[in-house]
Amino acid sequence: MNKQTDLLLEVKALRTHFLMDEGTVKAVEGADFTVRRGQTVGVVGESGCGKSVTAFSILQLVEKPGRIVGGEILWYRQGQAPVDLARLNPRGAEMRAIRGAEIAMIFQEPMVSLSPVHTIGAQISEVILLHQRCTKEEARRLSTEMLGKVGIPHPEQRVDTYPFQLSGGMRQRAMIAMALSCNPSLLIADEPTTALDVTTQAQIMELMLSLQHEFGMAIMLITHNLGVVAETCQQVIVMYLGEIVEQSPVDALFHDPLHPYTEALLRSIPVLGRSKAGKLDPIKGAVPDPYNRPPGCAFHPRCAKAMAGRCEVERPELVYLPDGRTVRCLLYPRAGAKIGEA
Amino acid sequence: MTTDDLLTITDLKMHFPIRKGFRSQVVGYVKAVDDVSLAIRPGETLGLVGESGCGKTTVGRCIARAYTPTAGQILFKDERGQDVNLALLAEAALKPYRRQIRMIFQDPYASLNPRMTVLDIVGEPLRVHQVAQGKALEERVASLLKRVGLRPEYMRRYPHAFSGGQRQRIGIARALALEPRLVIADEAVSALDVSVQAQILNLLEELQDEFKLTYIFISHDLSVVEYIADRVAVMYVGKLVEVTDTGRLFGAPKHPYTEALLSAVPKPDPRLKSKRIMLEGDVADPARPPAGCYFHPRCHFAQEQCQTEVPALREVGTGHWVSCHFAHQLQLQGVTA
Repeated sequence: MNKQTDLLLEVKALRTHFLMDEGTVKAVEGADFTVRRGQTVGVVGESGCGKSVTAFSILQLVEKPGRIVGGEILWYRQGQAPVDLARLNPRGAEMRAIRGAEIAMIFQEPMVSLSPVHTIGAQISEVILLHQRCTKEEARRLSTEMLGKVGIPHPEQRVDTYPFQLSGGMRQRAMIAMALSCNPSLLIADEPTTALDVTTQAQIMELMLSLQHEFGMAIMLITHNLGVVAETCQQVIVMYLGEIVEQSPVDALFHDPLHPYTEALLRSIPVLGRSKAGKLDPIKGAVPDPYNRPPGCAFHPRCAKAMAGRCEVERPELVYLPDGRTVRCLLYPRAGAKIGEA
Repeated sequence: MTTDDLLTITDLKMHFPIRKGFRSQVVGYVKAVDDVSLAIRPGETLGLVGESGCGKTTVGRCIARAYTPTAGQILFKDERGQDVNLALLAEAALKPYRRQIRMIFQDPYASLNPRMTVLDIVGEPLRVHQVAQGKALEERVASLLKRVGLRPEYMRRYPHAFSGGQRQRIGIARALALEPRLVIADEAVSALDVSVQAQILNLLEELQDEFKLTYIFISHDLSVVEYIADRVAVMYVGKLVEVTDTGRLFGAPKHPYTEALLSAVPKPDPRLKSKRIMLEGDVADPARPPAGCYFHPRCHFAQEQCQTEVPALREVGTGHWVSCHFAHQLQLQGVTA
């Protein structure tokens, strides 16, 4: 497949702001990335870095007072000109046809995102009836089939149960069944396993990857768990304070991180089997308050490699390196070579 | 028992009644903790791990006597070296021991009263136990805040003015205010971001050295437990399945559940594609546990004996306790770096 046709999603200079009484929160302030067909892209970062808002922006689900204030979200369909999702009316027919059918999303807490007063079957059927031309009976049969595909035992009985009758892992499976019922090209999974136990987490990740294989969809996996990213993703996007600071293939990210933040993040986590090696190396300070973004590079007050006189004034641009990786740091001049190495 | 252990738990049971109907008749019990025996040595960090609902928090709360256990002994060695059974003490008699056993909670947003200033929060235990008042109290709070890495000038602020990591530091200062000997940290870093988590873990280690603290570190995060704990106890549906030194537990586990739990942890290195042991099904319901070994419906090595006979916690090597009928035969895989 050539590079042009397997493009699925291209986000360019996305900016989503929340206009609050206390000031403007720049939740996303410069997100540039691409997702290719069938690819798994991980989005990592600490809480408040804008990873969830980026996902909600793609689906046009940002709630007031939040608003997309700039940038493009290009959605590619096979053999058609791309659509800019950022320009569509969030309540319009075109966006509603894409949301849930072409781009589906699953959330962290299945108990909160499923309706407590409707059966699992009714909730999955609703999605199917909304996007496909079929009868209620067919929708119900499809729902049952989907429940079976996500590994829920006795789907004919489970289709009539309410979310509270299922365990956390089973609920997340039901959410996945709902998301995949219309065969989306992109599945956005926002912390899908964070609320689950490790053994259940392993089951759900395995399930998502096998379904990805079967349905051929791309997955955008938002998580703060670097372990999950390492085991499932091909490309990784690292975000800090609303900006993408690095996009790299997974192996390069973990073994040759470009951005000082990525490097520091990897050093600060305990790794199973290696933990006794010595003290953890935390990143100094805390993530700044979103109303008071540091000037220049947002990471400079916590950065071990900050250059006095430059990092606190100059806002780094996203640099595209020759090997296809991107990084936002003044250590990398526009030409692409690292200072001191070239 | 005469040992030098700080805390000796014997056959601890905590059963919560399930009530139903108009007259709230007891129709069954949730066996949250069932026959747990455990010893904690002075100065060590004991990690207590397991999945949600396995009873690890309930064990912690029984030790802190937030719950009155259904049965069993909790022997705590007081400052004079005398063993006191905390499980039997009445509220008034417990008070001196409440000073010596303190807790740190998971959610720094929920565990600090939003209407109290930091001075009140950290100073409250000092006031309740009549340790300090007025100026002396303020000075004590200031030095505690300084010790946990917060600026004492901020003590008149309310919790909302602090970030998650700073709030957890306030919670730690409150726990340390009465110079406890045993600190129970219940998921103390689980709600924090990774970069802040490392700061708090390092702080807990420094404080342990400085104040000769003993920790019970309750967590579901095995990488964090491996980092901080000297010994680890693994629980499954209210029972202990394995207790041993951290190195041995992670390197050479003897219980099939421990092995599966370790293999399920995703490793932050794409080059390590470990063989994952997939467990079938869900954790058993502690109100209706299966017969025999509670783990047998999900165990790959289960045999007939496992379906009928409850395995006892037995010592299979020095200080290595396992409750599995076949612990001595199984060749299980640990984690390798």
